[in-house]
Amino acid sequence: MKLGIIKEVFKNVFTKPMTLLFPFERLEIPERNRGEHSFDIDTCISCGACARICPNLALEMIEAPPEMKEKYPKTYPQIDIGKCCFCGLCEDTCPKGSIKLTTNVFLATFDKDDTVRSPMSWNK
Amino acid sequence: MTKINEQKVNSDFAMNFGPAHPGSGNFAIKVEMRGERVLKATADPGYLHRGFEKLMEYREPMQNSVLSDRVCVLEPLQWNLVHAEAVDYLMGYEIPERAKYIRVILAELSRIQSHFIWYAVLSLGTGFMTGFNISIGYRDYILDVLNLITGGRVYPAGYICPGGIRKDFPEKAENKILELLPKIDYMRKFMLKENPAWLSRFKEIGVLTKEEAIKFGATGPVLRGSGVAADVRRDDPYEIYDELEFDIPVMDEGDALARFNVGVQEIEESMKIITQAIERLPKGEVRTPTLKPIVKFQNAKGEIYIRNELSRGEGAFYMVATGQKTPYRVKIRGPSFTHMIPIVEHLLTGVDYADVPAIYWSLYQCPADVDR
Repeated sequence: MKLGIIKEVFKNVFTKPMTLLFPFERLEIPERNRGEHSFDIDTCISCGACARICPNLALEMIEAPPEMKEKYPKTYPQIDIGKCCFCGLCEDTCPKGSIKLTTNVFLATFDKDDTVRSPMSWNK
Repeated sequence: MTKINEQKVNSDFAMNFGPAHPGSGNFAIKVEMRGERVLKATADPGYLHRGFEKLMEYREPMQNSVLSDRVCVLEPLQWNLVHAEAVDYLMGYEIPERAKYIRVILAELSRIQSHFIWYAVLSLGTGFMTGFNISIGYRDYILDVLNLITGGRVYPAGYICPGGIRKDFPEKAENKILELLPKIDYMRKFMLKENPAWLSRFKEIGVLTKEEAIKFGATGPVLRGSGVAADVRRDDPYEIYDELEFDIPVMDEGDALARFNVGVQEIEESMKIITQAIERLPKGEVRTPTLKPIVKFQNAKGEIYIRNELSRGEGAFYMVATGQKTPYRVKIRGPSFTHMIPIVEHLLTGVDYADVPAIYWSLYQCPADVDR
């Protein structure tokens, strides 16, 4: 029994710890991870399927601002990350693959309004 | 258990165990004490009521699938599976063979990580911090694989959905699961042998006899720890459980240690199931109707009560469809309800206060699933 403890101590001295030193080392986030959304407005066909399937009503179809109305005449999804439950149903339902969930999981903001992503300012 | 004089004395007092305590929280027990002895225990649930049954009447089945994760935080994939099976029956879906295997593999992985949590809260509640830390650490290896497959560490967000599963396994997922098994086995051995002094604390306390377990409606490890060999996977097989070889661990003692040991032995059986399922995993489709997440629930009519063996016991869904887009009525039967209210009140009567945490956490509770 005592020898077993010594063996365990030596094993633990030479093995890597279970934890990571976070800002310097990071856990690899898999590709399928459901993080922040990316949206490509040019491929969007304004079908509204994403807004209909969203369980938390986080997606809303809005019109483009007047200066961009000529280029984008239809309605496009605006997302409130604060309401989103990151289920990924919008990604699955999109017929053109315009909405995708990315590996970015750092979404904390200082301002509440920053949680709303308008279709023009969404990252691609 | 000694007999207690009913007449009140001046030293009697009442105190609350919870609702904020390490391990679970959101659940209180009001204990009436005489010195160190508990005279009467009254369960006080309701701190985590979210009204899933009503919410599900207003949402479509795919959206409910996402919601069904949250019934119990610690076993979301298994709750996904029960919900998906209820909708599958009402819609008359034929599930592809590959999807059935993947469902079982994920449900068993979920069971193992849930048992790790059980060990963790049992250690935390009774002051064995090493057990808590190492168990949560090893659970994280499983969560990494779940993140790879489902896209979420804890919540799969309806990965097991009506019609099959949402996405096929990514590349090398089978290898990643097989690489996990030695780690799980190390943790299982650690649970069995580590700290005999701490384990001896659970001997002969909180004894639930076979008759009492049946009378109070216990299921899962609590029932099997009292000597009743009942398991839905064997008695009423679903998915592919009837094709797999595994044992049902049973112990006759009925005390806290027996319940815990049943849980540890179940980890070994789950590992057997995962190995067999990965060996036989067929190729093919993973979702019946279409890959788009839409279920035409208007076509469904009738009602179904479907039950599964979750890690805590028997969980069930009752669902009624009347030709609307959403279910007419949903009733969820959680395994922890009977364990946390009648059984905990019965077992805590007449014990020493020092044994209260040990008995409470040996019942494998989940307040989220009691309140729903």
